[in-house]
Amino acid sequence: MEGDYSIVKNECGVSEAIGFLLIFSLVVVGIGLVSLYGYPVLMQQQASADQRIMEKNMIVLQNDIKSLSYKNVPYKETSLKVEGGPLTVYNTMMTPTPSFRITDSSGIDITFHPGQIQYESAASQQVITIENGAVMSRRNLETGSFMLAEPRWFIDTDPVYGKITAVIYLIGMNSTELLSRRGVGTVKMQMAETNFTEISFDNNQVIVQYIPDPNNNFSVAWRNYFVNTLKWTETAPGSYQLPTTDKLVIKRYDIMVKSL
Amino acid sequence: MARLNDDAQWIVLMGFIVSFSLFFLAIVVNQSTVVGQTTAEGVLEFPKNDIRSVREEVIACSDADMDKVLKDMASIAMDRKNAVVSFRITQAPQGLPFNKTFEIHYNNGVTAYNETATY
Repeated sequence: MEGDYSIVKNECGVSEAIGFLLIFSLVVVGIGLVSLYGYPVLMQQQASADQRIMEKNMIVLQNDIKSLSYKNVPYKETSLKVEGGPLTVYNTMMTPTPSFRITDSSGIDITFHPGQIQYESAASQQVITIENGAVMSRRNLETGSFMLAEPRWFIDTDPVYGKITAVIYLIGMNSTELLSRRGVGTVKMQMAETNFTEISFDNNQVIVQYIPDPNNNFSVAWRNYFVNTLKWTETAPGSYQLPTTDKLVIKRYDIMVKSL
Repeated sequence: MARLNDDAQWIVLMGFIVSFSLFFLAIVVNQSTVVGQTTAEGVLEFPKNDIRSVREEVIACSDADMDKVLKDMASIAMDRKNAVVSFRITQAPQGLPFNKTFEIHYNNGVTAYNETATY
């Protein structure tokens, strides 16, 4: 019996209640810290995740638009989950609306309103837009903007005959009324109208002008695309001159958004 | 005194390991970006059949009035497939081991294809 009361086996002061209290208070302190500091971070994460998901969704929609316009697919639909802000179709009739104007010295003057599919994030103040086949993004109330996915304009140099052809696609987003969606929905798009113009010329200077909507200005994104990607020259702010080409092809598509 | 049976400590450890691995898996899944999709699309978009049919038609029509065929093909290719197409067939000079030379050019803005073939 004497051995039970030796120093080694002395269990005085070990209380299950105090142990429980210690662990329980650690848990409570942990929960408190998470809700104090962790929750705002989690909300921020959620907003940026929503935004990233929408960036992906917009590229999926751009792929649908590509299929409709370049691959002669008559109809496409995609299911999306829109979180953190509304997805809206601004059709070509909306005012003010951005526009592209193509002019040359021989009297060609084409003004085109592309319309937009636009997502506006409420939490992160980010705007993601599909305009004329390009996916672009900008922050609210700031002048900068950038292109997430480019449209397919190109200048072809034919090594067989040495001819240079510029191909410009004008893709308009149209709808019968103003459409908007939050939550899960299906974007149904249909090819409405195509129009194909081929202009041959000798040394005519073609100017493409981007006239932005002042409240939704993507001129920086378009400028970077024209000047850096296509290597056109900027003659005046918002005006870009094509390099000398032998032929200009303008393909115009009108896509009808049936529902969101 | 009844001894505490702690033979099942590994269950708790397994729980820890599983939850940590799930955590890292979630981070990896979260990192997946748009790259995968655009790359896959790039592979699917390669216009193999378009290039093949242009080639086939050029070779099949090689004895016809090539200027008219070229005009028709170029405008059909642009209208239907959004591609700039041009080609030329030239008679090879005497003494060479082949008769004709084909030059074919195809460009749809994403894929450009040039070929010079002789037969």
